Amino acid sequence: MTFEDIHAIADDYVLGLLERSDELAVEAEMARNGDLARAVAAARDRFLPLDMTAMPVPVSSTLWQRIETRLQETPAGAGDTAGEINTRMDPDRPPQASPRAANDNAASRWRRAAFGGLAASLLMAAGLAFTLTRTVEPLVVAVLVDEAGAVQAVVEDFGSDRAVVRLLDDLKVPADRTMQVWTLPSREMGPVSLGLLDQARSTRLAPPALPRPQDAQLYEITLEPAGGSPTGRPTGPILAKGFAKLPR
Amino acid sequence: MAAAEMAADGLDRELFACARGDALALKRIFDREAGRLTAVAERIVKRRDLAEEVVQEAFINIWTKAHQYSPDRGSARGWIHAIVRNRALNLLRDGRREDLVDAERLDAMREADQMDHVLSAFAALDRDSRLRACLDTLEETRRRGILMAYVGGYSHGEIAGRLRLPLGTAKSWIRRGLAALRECMA
Repeated sequence: MTFEDIHAIADDYVLGLLERSDELAVEAEMARNGDLARAVAAARDRFLPLDMTAMPVPVSSTLWQRIETRLQETPAGAGDTAGEINTRMDPDRPPQASPRAANDNAASRWRRAAFGGLAASLLMAAGLAFTLTRTVEPLVVAVLVDEAGAVQAVVEDFGSDRAVVRLLDDLKVPADRTMQVWTLPSREMGPVSLGLLDQARSTRLAPPALPRPQDAQLYEITLEPAGGSPTGRPTGPILAKGFAKLPR
Repeated sequence: MAAAEMAADGLDRELFACARGDALALKRIFDREAGRLTAVAERIVKRRDLAEEVVQEAFINIWTKAHQYSPDRGSARGWIHAIVRNRALNLLRDGRREDLVDAERLDAMREADQMDHVLSAFAALDRDSRLRACLDTLEETRRRGILMAYVGGYSHGEIAGRLRLPLGTAKSWIRRGLAALRECMA
């Protein structure tokens, strides 16, 4: 179908007057055509008062239970594409070391939160990456979020021993502690330190030579003793984490 | 819908909380809205049990898609209602294919009821609302066609049949009615 009169199409779509195939075409087009998406949103809100005239009806007492059951069957973060992403940074660390990870629900909440944050923030991250480097593109960008899903930092990994961390929120660091940035190039290799962060300052890091960063590679910032982790692996609480995306 | 009303219903905040994985936010949306959403779905699928099925599936979608909601794409309520309406329309389409004969018989039985629903939605619109005022300016048949489509989920063919118009005529009346409505509400 053609998208010449987007307002007429938006109305037909909202009224359910399109054939299923055209409906799918509209949905696909909406994803890349902001004008059409806005026209559909406007049409929805235009007709919404008619829905508001519907008198609420009593629903079955089991309806919410049915929804909850279905939600439990739905894999956490149904939009997940990478199956590996909930891999903990340090497989050797006992789960008790981090109360967050001790609870599967918390883990899936986090995972979901990380995805929400990522989705909302990727555009911004891409913009940052662009202004920061101008000529050189990072190979991957990771938006790091805290457990509540709030964006804390962006890591841009340029490969060839260069990465930049931009802090986007005031992370609280006690005087005897330091922030350390990690990535997980592969399970076999385990977590590798990219470097230490100055107190709440965006920093250019000089990580060791590592395999080329991949899509969905894990990055995180932990709180470590001053001078960095004594073991060479993350030992402190996770302040923020996120998964790399390849800039498009 | 007035901007103040949109912001005041707090549904946008609940959707953001869902996107962060807060299941209680989904429950709060359910507690507040399930009754009306079921009623909206029932106007389209015509049966309470099917309407609940629609709402059940819609809440799964609300949960998994909440991160896609953005305020620059209209109100949170409009977004939530769209998910319910889409599911209801799809169920209706699937059902149409499966048991046409039965559906026609039931349709005939419920015909009077259904038209009541459609017209009562219009009658219940706030007299001061823009939508009401603009629908009022439309010629009766055009208004009815638009209401049948939005409120009752009728297809072009069904509307043409009910209004005793040739299909092409019904389509072009609805198209012109919608254009006039957009202009009036702009």
